[in-house]
Amino acid sequence: MDLKERVCGELQKEVPKGASFTNFNTQHQQKWEDPSSTSDYSTRIEPPFQAFNQTSQTQSLLLCNNQIKVPMQDGSVNDLLQASKIQDWDPSAMLNNLSFLGQKIHQLQDLVYLIIGRKGQVLGGPDELLVQQQQLVTADLTSIIVQLISTAGSLLPSVKQTLSAATTSLGQCGEFGGVVFPSSAQGLNDGVQPQNAGGSKVSEPPNSVDITSNNGNEQSNHIIEEHELKDEEDAEEGENLLPGTYEILQLEKEEILAPHTHFCTICGKGFKRDANLRMHMRGHGEEYKTPGALAKPTKESSSEPTIIKRYSCPYAGCKRNKDHKKFQPLKTILCVKNHYKRTHCDKSYICSRCNTKKFSVIADLKTHEKHCGKDKWLCSCGTTFSRKDKLFGHITLFQGHTPAIPSDEIKAAPAGTSDGATNKVGSVNFNLSSYVSSESEVQSSSMDIKGGIDDAVGYFSPLSFDTCNFGGFHEFPRPPFDDSESSFAFLLSRSCNYSQKSGEE
Amino acid sequence: MLSFQSSKNLLSLTEDLLVRIYELLAAESDRKSFRLVCREFRRIDTLTRRHLRVIRIEFLPILLRKYPRLQSLDLSACPRIDDGVVSLLLTRVGPGSNSPILGHWAWGLKSLVLSRATGLRFSGLEMLARACPCLESVDVSYCCGFGDREAAALSSAVGLRELNMDKCLQLTDVGLAKIAVGCSKLEKLSLKWCMEMTDLGIDLLCKKCVDLKYLDVSYLKVTNESLHSIASLLKLEVLGLMACPLIDDVGLHFIERGCPSLKVIDVSRCEGVSSSGLIFVVRGHRNLLELKAGYCLSQELSTALLHQMKNLNHLEVIRIDGARISETSFQVISANCKSLVEIGLSKCLGVTNMGIMRLVSACINLRVLNLTCCHSITDAAISAIAYSCRSLVCLKVESCNMITEKGLCQLGSFCLLLEEIDLTDCCGVNDKGLEYLSRCSELSCLKLGLCTNISNKGLSYIGFNCLKIHELDLYRCTGIGDDGLEALSNGCKKLRKLNLSYCNEVSDRGLGYIGRLEELSDLEMRALHKITGVGLEAVAVGCKRLADLDMKHCEKVGDSGFWALAYYSKNLRQINLSYCGISDMALCMVMGNLSRLQEAKLVHLSNCTVEGVELALRACCVRIKKVKLFAPLRFMLSSEILEILHARGCIIRWD
Repeated sequence: MDLKERVCGELQKEVPKGASFTNFNTQHQQKWEDPSSTSDYSTRIEPPFQAFNQTSQTQSLLLCNNQIKVPMQDGSVNDLLQASKIQDWDPSAMLNNLSFLGQKIHQLQDLVYLIIGRKGQVLGGPDELLVQQQQLVTADLTSIIVQLISTAGSLLPSVKQTLSAATTSLGQCGEFGGVVFPSSAQGLNDGVQPQNAGGSKVSEPPNSVDITSNNGNEQSNHIIEEHELKDEEDAEEGENLLPGTYEILQLEKEEILAPHTHFCTICGKGFKRDANLRMHMRGHGEEYKTPGALAKPTKESSSEPTIIKRYSCPYAGCKRNKDHKKFQPLKTILCVKNHYKRTHCDKSYICSRCNTKKFSVIADLKTHEKHCGKDKWLCSCGTTFSRKDKLFGHITLFQGHTPAIPSDEIKAAPAGTSDGATNKVGSVNFNLSSYVSSESEVQSSSMDIKGGIDDAVGYFSPLSFDTCNFGGFHEFPRPPFDDSESSFAFLLSRSCNYSQKSGEE
Repeated sequence: MLSFQSSKNLLSLTEDLLVRIYELLAAESDRKSFRLVCREFRRIDTLTRRHLRVIRIEFLPILLRKYPRLQSLDLSACPRIDDGVVSLLLTRVGPGSNSPILGHWAWGLKSLVLSRATGLRFSGLEMLARACPCLESVDVSYCCGFGDREAAALSSAVGLRELNMDKCLQLTDVGLAKIAVGCSKLEKLSLKWCMEMTDLGIDLLCKKCVDLKYLDVSYLKVTNESLHSIASLLKLEVLGLMACPLIDDVGLHFIERGCPSLKVIDVSRCEGVSSSGLIFVVRGHRNLLELKAGYCLSQELSTALLHQMKNLNHLEVIRIDGARISETSFQVISANCKSLVEIGLSKCLGVTNMGIMRLVSACINLRVLNLTCCHSITDAAISAIAYSCRSLVCLKVESCNMITEKGLCQLGSFCLLLEEIDLTDCCGVNDKGLEYLSRCSELSCLKLGLCTNISNKGLSYIGFNCLKIHELDLYRCTGIGDDGLEALSNGCKKLRKLNLSYCNEVSDRGLGYIGRLEELSDLEMRALHKITGVGLEAVAVGCKRLADLDMKHCEKVGDSGFWALAYYSKNLRQINLSYCGISDMALCMVMGNLSRLQEAKLVHLSNCTVEGVELALRACCVRIKKVKLFAPLRFMLSSEILEILHARGCIIRWD
């Protein structure tokens, strides 16, 4: 990994922080001086990629299911073609831009070589010159990126108006706060935009190469998994964003877990919602009571260009992490929070009724408690209902259907011993092809397709009906090593070890 | 019955004529006499008999074999019936011992009364329901343990038209849904005290059983939603909503627009219902026959309601117990509701002589009048009633102190059809009054509790003239002694229910007369301090049908009496022996030997030891259903026996 790549990686990792502060350069510098973070980063990133390569089997499995994907992909390509037809973009201007960018990158490359050379010579204390050069590199890189965006953005109608604003100044660029994947060509398949292929060659983060190469494959995964996802947090039905067409923000763990995100600049009180903060601010003086001060801040910026924002999970190896091969962005900050708590945090809320089910998001606990301990309402035709009135509506509708009276044995069944339940899941997982569990809601078919593990919720979610977020998954008691979502477990599960996977979650 | 001289002609009667005669016999005792005449008569009995009420389950197989044409079977008196018995009956009992057709008796069965059959469970019920293809009516009321499974079992009787599930406490919407879907021909359904029922179940019922004519949801926690569903029943005629606390005027508004066939509605004790709710009902249903709205009209009958009631020309029954009522209201009612048959004014405020006079002046068809606790009425009102309502059958004037012999004289002169009169706590009633009253020879139920001014002389008039009396209440009639009972026992041979509690003068001789009453089944004789074992023995020997005996505080009765009781009173079902001087041995004999005993109250038995009570309980634990014991015994009795009783479904009350 050469320096340039490292810079990109570093940039990618750190820039999201810039969303919250403006002193971009100093922050960057701090990180630059800290070699541990870089090395840590690379070690953390690399094993998953090895794992990806190993799991070619799953990918082939995935490819088997491409029937769904194909028409959708075609549709998206068509859309793009139409969009490009609508716009009158100038190929020669684009070429000019690209060559200019190429030159700039070469210059930057030389500069960095220079720095490396000097670093080797003067290994002493921090040099004033070095800092200056580093700032220069950063500024240059940022401008390159911005220009690349504008170049790529001219192909997309949504970004078109943003160009002028985006290119104006570096300071504004810092406010963007996120790295925008320069490789917008990824989504546009072969030959549609040959110019962009050059663009992507110029300055690309190392992992995005992977993405481009696996482009078709990845997109198909993306689509299939969307079909499987039943978790409302992750639900992105209808959204088929091409990688690179949106801005990715990544909050830090501390930020995600902070109880409040909006703080009063005067008294320091924290709020969950900006609206509440604005209401609070009224108490600090007349100037906060103006309609302008009380209005939604996003509204004023609506006149400005809006780049679609998507979020990345800071947890390395998570599918919601932007470095993941099959990265699926999260839609809102709330999604990030819920996802992070559900997937990477301890489940500290325990249901007081059943004392077995744990949740990390309190809303999930409340949802569960609403239904915990209540009977499943079963019709003689075998259909189950979570609510009695729904069952009775069903019975009213269908001639001859009656409510089934649950026998005592069935009532007792779900409260099985933990061992028995885990074994059961295990067996389900091993017999991937045929086993259909009678009383649990585990759908073995869903896991055939699904390659990822970091979304175990969606993993077990049944394909049918109105069951809650967690499907039948939480029916099973959690094994002791439940919370240790280490990279070790992650690796194990990546290597097609299904039973391990099921045990883990 | 038929006199001895005509017996020759009797034998020449053809079979069909004998059948006709047999069918005219109403009383069970008469039928018994009939079939004891000769073999031919007995054959007629077996061929014609449609209804059978079984008291002892051990005879059921023989009886079922004997009466092949049975349509109605009443097993309510033998709670010991359980799934095993049913299975046995269905697999072993055929028309003849060598006949291959088993369970034949069930084929023609249309009606099955299983009230209080607490031993039965869903499997037995299902067997019965499947074995009786013609089953139309089932009564499982007061089977408190019945729930959804039992309902599911019943739902396999697809032809069911009438179903009584009162106090099936475990029944929920699910069970009701089973019945609603399974028995779609249902016309009559009673769900009193099925406390788990909600609007969902009622709603489904109304959608599935559109033929319902009778629906009773009294005491349920159903809301106006249910009334909304019920209003869609086109054929509904009778609707019982008694003491539904969540129903109010809004719900009755639905009824105004729905239920076009409604004839009878009962909203008694519905806390949320007021005059305006009743206005809705009355406005929507001009042809209403019965309006029962007791204890829900706390304030005066509103003029608007009276105005609407003018249109109820067909109204036959009105009950507005507990309401405040004015004289003008009486006039409006009597002027418009000419066909009134029953009026209930129990505990109404503002009932005066003048009001009653106005009311009855037009109601010449009145048969039932309840004036309980209308303290201000006097003989004048009674005279008016007697004069106007010649067909009066039932009059309740409990606690109307101002009634004297003059009023009773008028009754005895004009109301010769009177069958039931309640004079409890009417101090004005004396011997002379009873003499007048005894002219009502149809009298069958006479309540004279707390009438301290009557004596043996008065009772003797009743004994001479009112031969049809079957219920007599002499509670705390301290003037009554043995002579009165002698007269009574000479005349009132049909007496079934007698209350002699606190009639201190009654002695063993009196009980000897009581022993002549063969029909007597219910005897309450608390605190008769003069009686001893001799008297009890006479009762036990004579009253073969005795089923309910209350002899609390009869302290002088010795063991000889209880021995006799244990030996003779085989039909005893309930007994109260509290504060009696019964010994351990006698208690064990009574409890162990009386094979129909279901309920016993055994508090403060001074001569009994803990071991004695324990032994007695062990002797009866198979069949006892309810027992009341002295509270400290809870910790003295062995846990084993308590567990056995509990396991058998016996309810223990600690006092």
